[in-house]
Amino acid sequence: MSKPITLYSHATGPNPWKVAMVLEELNVPYDTKFMDFADLKKDPYEQLCVNGRVPAIEDPNTGINIWESGAIVEYLAETYDTKHELSFEKGPEKYQVKQWLHFQMSGQGPYYGQCAWFNKFHPERLAAPTERYDEQVKRVLYVLNKALTGKKYLVGEKCTIADISFVPWNEMLGFILGDKLASWDVEKNYPAYHAWHQSLLARPAVKKTWEAKQKVASGGGQ
Amino acid sequence: MAAQPDIHLYTTQTPNGIKISITLEELGLPYKVTKIEFSKNAQKEPWFLGINPNGRIPALTDTFTDGKTINLFESGSIQQYLVDRYDKDYKISYPRGTREFYDVNSWLFFLNSGVGPMQGQANHFGRYAPEHIEYGVKRYTNETRRLYGVLNTHLEKSTSGYLVGDRCTIADIAHWGWVAAAGWAGVDIEDFPALKAWEEMMLKRPGVEKGRQVPDPHTMRELSKDSDAAKKAAEETKKWVQEGMAADTKK
Ligand SMILES: N[C@@H](CCC(=O)N[C@@H](CS)C(=O)NCC(=O)O)C(=O)O
Ligand SMILES: N[C@@H](CCC(=O)N[C@@H](CS)C(=O)NCC(=O)O)C(=O)O
Repeated sequence: MSKPITLYSHATGPNPWKVAMVLEELNVPYDTKFMDFADLKKDPYEQLCVNGRVPAIEDPNTGINIWESGAIVEYLAETYDTKHELSFEKGPEKYQVKQWLHFQMSGQGPYYGQCAWFNKFHPERLAAPTERYDEQVKRVLYVLNKALTGKKYLVGEKCTIADISFVPWNEMLGFILGDKLASWDVEKNYPAYHAWHQSLLARPAVKKTWEAKQKVASGGGQ
Repeated sequence: MAAQPDIHLYTTQTPNGIKISITLEELGLPYKVTKIEFSKNAQKEPWFLGINPNGRIPALTDTFTDGKTINLFESGSIQQYLVDRYDKDYKISYPRGTREFYDVNSWLFFLNSGVGPMQGQANHFGRYAPEHIEYGVKRYTNETRRLYGVLNTHLEKSTSGYLVGDRCTIADIAHWGWVAAAGWAGVDIEDFPALKAWEEMMLKRPGVEKGRQVPDPHTMRELSKDSDAAKKAAEETKKWVQEGMAADTKK
């Protein structure tokens, strides 16, 4: 039995939950430490993650510490997915998984994050930037929908860490856009994307993790 | 016999594009180049979308070990592919499973999910946006400065001068084009002395010098220091950026 990995997380921020989903999928034991944003940009946390953001992990089994959610899920797959249930050992698929993971990290995360900022958090509504990031989000939906048309998953015939990595931000769209989301008619305009996201949400490990997030976010304890 | 490399790079003169040509030069690999003309919106042409459905550069094709063609997009995964397949002597990478291997990955994702997108937004609001929005400019130059601060603090402690361990890796290469263009994004590199020293050290590498000139001469370092020339160059880019924005809205 491996010793539990420590996952540094946050109640509402989406990025750490992608790591939790992969840990659940792979049945790797872990303990979650929920951090306050105020404690991230100072020691001791900055010793672990110089960028002062979550997630980060400490793995007592290998002595490896890693930050950046994309790097963490690649590490978890390489270290613990020995049966290649969520990854590919070789072939072009091995690199296509990396490709979509990078797209999630550089194309989805930052833009959805900015979209959330201008729609929800910035004290004053600024039309042009809000519109800009709404359009960027639509572009991501368009690219995913196109890539998924006629396919169940992004790479090959199985769900991989690349698919899982999109779930938290996909699922945040309702919160980010509120009533506006209905007018986007995601199911009709991005049908392959919609079916894919629903199938990912129905996975027991994903479902369990997201329910845990909702509980923690609503203050329902850890 | 293993398939021979038959690398074809689709690129243009940008920070994300030159990461790949520098990586290829550092590895001493032969490659063909096709320049993707943004001013003609070539990145949105059907043949290119067949290689990269995301309609962005860089993209790369190669003959895979099975003899068939592999298409890849996302600069980070292209760099990972190139070292995984070709860097058998670990010139610019580390063996899988080592601490350094994973540290490289953290920094690679830091660049691709942090520095790149945020500096890119700073460029948008500072250089290309149709309307001047002071808050947008400030928000993203500040975030870029925060990220540069993280790099600077880390590099101050580095004994080799590189981001991870004793050598230049794909993580350093990924950062270089962005940091060399700091001034373009309204960030003064003089505020980050360790990062500045690293940028100059990187430039002395023959692979960086050669790779940065692909497909056209690299002018960002000079432009960053000459505000009139920068303004003129930005006007040209502004045109296709705004056309692209209009086209995206119609989707
Ligand atoms: N690219 C990073 C982004 C991490 C990130 O932005 N984390 C947020 C929470 S979702 C955070 O720590 N924010 C705290 C802050 O900005 O102070 C990753 O995917 O790990
Ligand atoms: N201080 C940051 C905090 C915001 C933040 O951390 N946002 C996260 C989401 S919780 C984000 O956008 N991360 C980018 C990513 O996921 O790549 C800000 O002002 O935007």
